[in-house]
Amino acid sequence: MNVNAIVMFFLFVSITLVITVWASKRTRTRSDFYAAGRSIGGLQNGLAIAGDFMSAATFLGVTALVYSTGMDAMLFIIGGTMGWSVILLLIAERLRNLGKYTFSDVVAFRLERNPVRTMSAIGSLAVAIPYLLAQMVGAGALIQVLFGLPYSFAVILVGVLMTLYVTFGGMLATTWIQTIKAVLLLTGGTIIGFGVMLLMHFNFGELVTAAVHTHAKGSAIMAPGVMFDDFITIISVALAFVFGTAGLPHVLMRFFTVPDARQARRSVAHAIGFIGYFQCLIFIIGLGAVVYVSKNPEFMNADGSLLGGANMSAVHLSKVIGGDFFLGFISAVAFATILAVVSGLTLSAATAVSHDLYANVLRRGASDRNTELRISRITTFLIGLSTMALAILLEGENVAVLALIALAIAASVNFPVMFLSMYWSRFTTRGALAGGYAGLATSLLLVILGPTVWVEMLGFEKPVFPYLYPTLFAMLANLAFAFWFSVTDKSHRAFAEIESFDNQWIQSEIGPVEEAP
Amino acid sequence: MLSEADKRVLMNREFQKLVRVRRWISASFMLLLLGLYLLFSLLSAYAPQVLARPLLNGGTVPVGIALGYAILALIFILTLVYVWLANNVFEPLEKSVRRSVREGQER
Repeated sequence: MNVNAIVMFFLFVSITLVITVWASKRTRTRSDFYAAGRSIGGLQNGLAIAGDFMSAATFLGVTALVYSTGMDAMLFIIGGTMGWSVILLLIAERLRNLGKYTFSDVVAFRLERNPVRTMSAIGSLAVAIPYLLAQMVGAGALIQVLFGLPYSFAVILVGVLMTLYVTFGGMLATTWIQTIKAVLLLTGGTIIGFGVMLLMHFNFGELVTAAVHTHAKGSAIMAPGVMFDDFITIISVALAFVFGTAGLPHVLMRFFTVPDARQARRSVAHAIGFIGYFQCLIFIIGLGAVVYVSKNPEFMNADGSLLGGANMSAVHLSKVIGGDFFLGFISAVAFATILAVVSGLTLSAATAVSHDLYANVLRRGASDRNTELRISRITTFLIGLSTMALAILLEGENVAVLALIALAIAASVNFPVMFLSMYWSRFTTRGALAGGYAGLATSLLLVILGPTVWVEMLGFEKPVFPYLYPTLFAMLANLAFAFWFSVTDKSHRAFAEIESFDNQWIQSEIGPVEEAP
Repeated sequence: MLSEADKRVLMNREFQKLVRVRRWISASFMLLLLGLYLLFSLLSAYAPQVLARPLLNGGTVPVGIALGYAILALIFILTLVYVWLANNVFEPLEKSVRRSVREGQER
């Protein structure tokens, strides 16, 4: 039992519950529930966005990658940061200028509402639900190791808390929880990174030398190739990060919580600062873990493997740096990270159902506010319940495939459809549907035929599709279908859609004319 | 059908300048970053020994790590430049275009 961790975690949970009660009193309208009443400033939203990205997967997972593969992790670190440049330079301001609550609003701006919204809602759900499930399963395992709680108890605790936050506090509570967690995580990461550099006399070269001397693979960790060596895999990983980030529905939703495009731009700029800084730290933390954890008998199982697996390397390192108290702090922060990220994902999935499918497709944009919010809350509740049940069933399974599917779909369905609808005047409804569904089908098919499902789960000897990541092929499929079915679309509808591009273009460039002071 | 107001915006000199400058900036920054990332990926796949070589003679930090941090630094710098341009160049143009649209509506 890790008493420090449990006390600090309960402190965090109590604060978040107080925030949820406060937020629930201020959440009345749809704009409150989905977009925190557009009341969030650029700096806070930047922290919240950074918080969404700095999930347990980034903090513990990428540290673990540095710990076990060294330089190959640089590919993730660069890609994970560059994804935000795509959002800043190409997406953020236009998204805020054209949309209301979700990126589907942008796709449906001039294309036919029902079919494209249905597709982008499927795209959102196909990203949010697998990602959510992967986080829940990971959370259960992590909390088991960190706090000594039983797996199913941990999953239920996470599920109940996230359902409470989202149902009652909506986006306002979710944003504040994410903001607080981001500050805690940045603080914790800074202390670990600073501690490592202190032990290394602030000499990065010394850290590299020490890591090479300690690591079982020796100087191989300071060269690429431990994990990836073929170009197709590398480029797929790169594409998934660079363009998948801009297709994550829970991240895109945050651009609607600010009052205007200017604050949307400030949000990403701040987020890039925090994320880039954190990614710099992660490399130092990972190398630090190699030096101070990998040969330390305190953190080893009898067979010489790391206690709790490579994902625990950052947590073990925190004990080396700051003792039991700091270990407790980092464990509590890791738990808080999971809670904050699953809440954001749940909210975005619920919004895809209530705003995109119910209000716009089913009720054709004429839904009653209270019914729509009730649907959103019921959906949240059902998502909470079903992911808890599924996560308990999936105990001990390899859930990496779920995260793989989520990022592949974000990059090959959501991003291209949103990008083309913003920038390509000849893009039509037919092209959007053909491209979006082609990207979705290709992603799913190639993951199923690939090494993780075909070989590891279904037990075949050789994968039909040899690569782990489908992103390159799925993105190309989307773009090819979108291109061909748009340019050959000679319908009246297509003609009208192409003609209304200029109107959309103007609004995306200068924003709504009436609102501005 | 394109409305009269929209037509006026498309003909507006400032709007044209806004679109032209912003497109050039976004596209060139994006291509620069993606190009560097592609370079890193290509080197990882086909010339790992280049990335593994120490950056300085007798040093220990390899080129790959230095290049990675350099790309992160460039992302920071380009972000600052873009935000500066957006605040000082794009926004005044946007405001002025919006004003002229509103004046056009009143007339």
